[in-house]
Amino acid sequence: MSAPPAAQTSRAPGAAFIFKKALISALVALVLFSLMIGVRTEAGPQGQLIYWTRFGDLAAMVATVFGGSIVFELLRQWWGPVGTIRVVPPAVQSTLSLAGRLIAPVLLVFTFLVPVIFYNERYILDLGILVLTYVMLGWGLNVVVGLAGLLDLGYVAFYAVGAYSYALLATNFGLSFWICLPLAGILAAFWGVLLGFPVLRLRGDYLAIVTLAFGEIIRLVLLNWQSVTGGPNGVTGIPRPTLFGIPLSAGDDGLAAILGIEYSPTHRIVFLFYIILALALLTNWVTIRLRRLPIGRAWEALREDEVACRALGINTTTTKLTAFATGAMFGGFAGAFFATRQGFISPESFTFHESALVLAIVVLGGMGSQLGVALAALAMIGGFELFRGLDQYRMLVFGMAMVLLMIWRPRGLIGHRAPTVFLKHNQAISSDLVKEGHG
Amino acid sequence: MSASPATPLLAIRSLRAAYGKIEALKGVDLDINAGEIVALIGANGAGKSTLMMTIFGRPRARSGTIEFDGQDITGVPTHDIARLRIAQSPEGRRIFPRMSVAENLQMGADATDSSEADRASSLERVFALFPRLKERITQRGGTLSGGEQQMLAIGRALMSRPRLLMLDEPSLGLAPLIARQIFDAIRTLNRQDGLTVLIVEQNANHALKLAHRGYVMVNGLITLSGTGSELLQRPEIRAAYLEGGRRE
Repeated sequence: MSAPPAAQTSRAPGAAFIFKKALISALVALVLFSLMIGVRTEAGPQGQLIYWTRFGDLAAMVATVFGGSIVFELLRQWWGPVGTIRVVPPAVQSTLSLAGRLIAPVLLVFTFLVPVIFYNERYILDLGILVLTYVMLGWGLNVVVGLAGLLDLGYVAFYAVGAYSYALLATNFGLSFWICLPLAGILAAFWGVLLGFPVLRLRGDYLAIVTLAFGEIIRLVLLNWQSVTGGPNGVTGIPRPTLFGIPLSAGDDGLAAILGIEYSPTHRIVFLFYIILALALLTNWVTIRLRRLPIGRAWEALREDEVACRALGINTTTTKLTAFATGAMFGGFAGAFFATRQGFISPESFTFHESALVLAIVVLGGMGSQLGVALAALAMIGGFELFRGLDQYRMLVFGMAMVLLMIWRPRGLIGHRAPTVFLKHNQAISSDLVKEGHG
Repeated sequence: MSASPATPLLAIRSLRAAYGKIEALKGVDLDINAGEIVALIGANGAGKSTLMMTIFGRPRARSGTIEFDGQDITGVPTHDIARLRIAQSPEGRRIFPRMSVAENLQMGADATDSSEADRASSLERVFALFPRLKERITQRGGTLSGGEQQMLAIGRALMSRPRLLMLDEPSLGLAPLIARQIFDAIRTLNRQDGLTVLIVEQNANHALKLAHRGYVMVNGLITLSGTGSELLQRPEIRAAYLEGGRRE
């Protein structure tokens, strides 16, 4: 639906405006859908063209767009963008800020307890692992996109490099997961630097296109280099991680047998859950530490104003390369974990869709916010599962939820940027009050 | 040229720089002695900012030399020049809008290897010069007023304890009263700490009153030089930059 920035001229556009806008939207829908829905074509038994009209469906569709546009516009006025000042009673405000401060620790404790609470629910444990994998990927990409402001559409490449590094090293040389994990990270970081060099001078859209191509190149190489990567067949029989060399298997040398408890396949799931939790927390911890160091500050400054960075004598080359390398390294860790969890990988797992999903998590979470990214990953991956009951409407509902969220919170779930230098007391100043981009 | 004592802190000889085919500096000679304020004035597009940026290593000089404290810095990368403690406050202030005042200031110290003690003492010095910044310490850079942003830009440059401070149009877009405050602060820095300052300005009147010496730049060449008061008396300067071309 087209959305001219008319809302800026007047705070509350009148009924005429809303009606006009809805009418335009409906007209666009009519033109678009008249062929897509109004006329149904099919090949007949002899290959000839058969077609029939479905004007009823078309009318319903156009009416939906018309009504939806009105509802949409009304909702916009109702909530308003974040910039509008609303009077909130102090009691509610303090409760909200308390909740805001408590949400991270509560979430963390809950995450630790998930395998205990849901021990018998394999589905939830698997979902938890999936969510945590995306939390980690989100945090990794957050270094590149959220902090350094380098739009990376090919993040999945590093995920793939990590996964294939572990898979190939483990299946060809019999190296264990714990040796391969750092190797996968280092290799991914190396590829991050390799991507970083040619794009040093690029920004914004141009950078996005090159990174997108990079992601595709990696995938196509994996797909076509059959002798090494197995091509479309992928790599099978990737070993599972062990606990200090003790496998979590049903055999006599397995952990269950050694501890003298009954073997259950859930043990391994719980073990995997805690591995990815530890990896994700490591990512978070490193990012938080780095943000307080000059290098992390330089990343954020680079996002704000590259020219100013140069004027201050910041080495923008190393700043960009370290951002790419750090983000890629975490992607590589996550990739190695993915390979060991699945036991099988193929290029199909590393399509552009994954990059887009991780980027959506970062943007939805509020660029640069660690908690926001975690919440967004939970909402995106968990929410996607939640809507599973809606069958074919799942994507539709999910897409609508995203659109509404971006209207309601254009800067993402947590758009507030926490300062890293503290002096005595802190004054909370909403980032929404800040003019963007102009010095 | 001026009667310079001993060796100048910064010596520029027949410096040429270009953007692609367009030559912005066509053989510039300029000296800055330790402890003096030098003003560089000229019309839009004369090459003033380019000269300042070329001293800082970007764009690279096509030919000629730049010597800082006896060391040739022509062709040295920008971040290495910053380590020699040359600092600049770029045109248009360019503070980091989403970062707090404190973070903005810390950024200034990051390019040089500053110890915590250095940072603390620099911070104190900046706050002594601009008490307003201390009041605004937790505020985001983008929420400051224009004058405060200029103070922040200068303060940020001061955080690296520079031996040469280069200011590009510090009065740009500021109310006359605020501009005067900025100029006063620069004078204080020079008198109290003996800081060497190169100031690029279109506001020729203010800049020449402040400066010990001045250079006039036209089309990539230095056409006139002399002490600040000398230049202010010159009829061609008055005609070109003061009476007719005066901004504000």
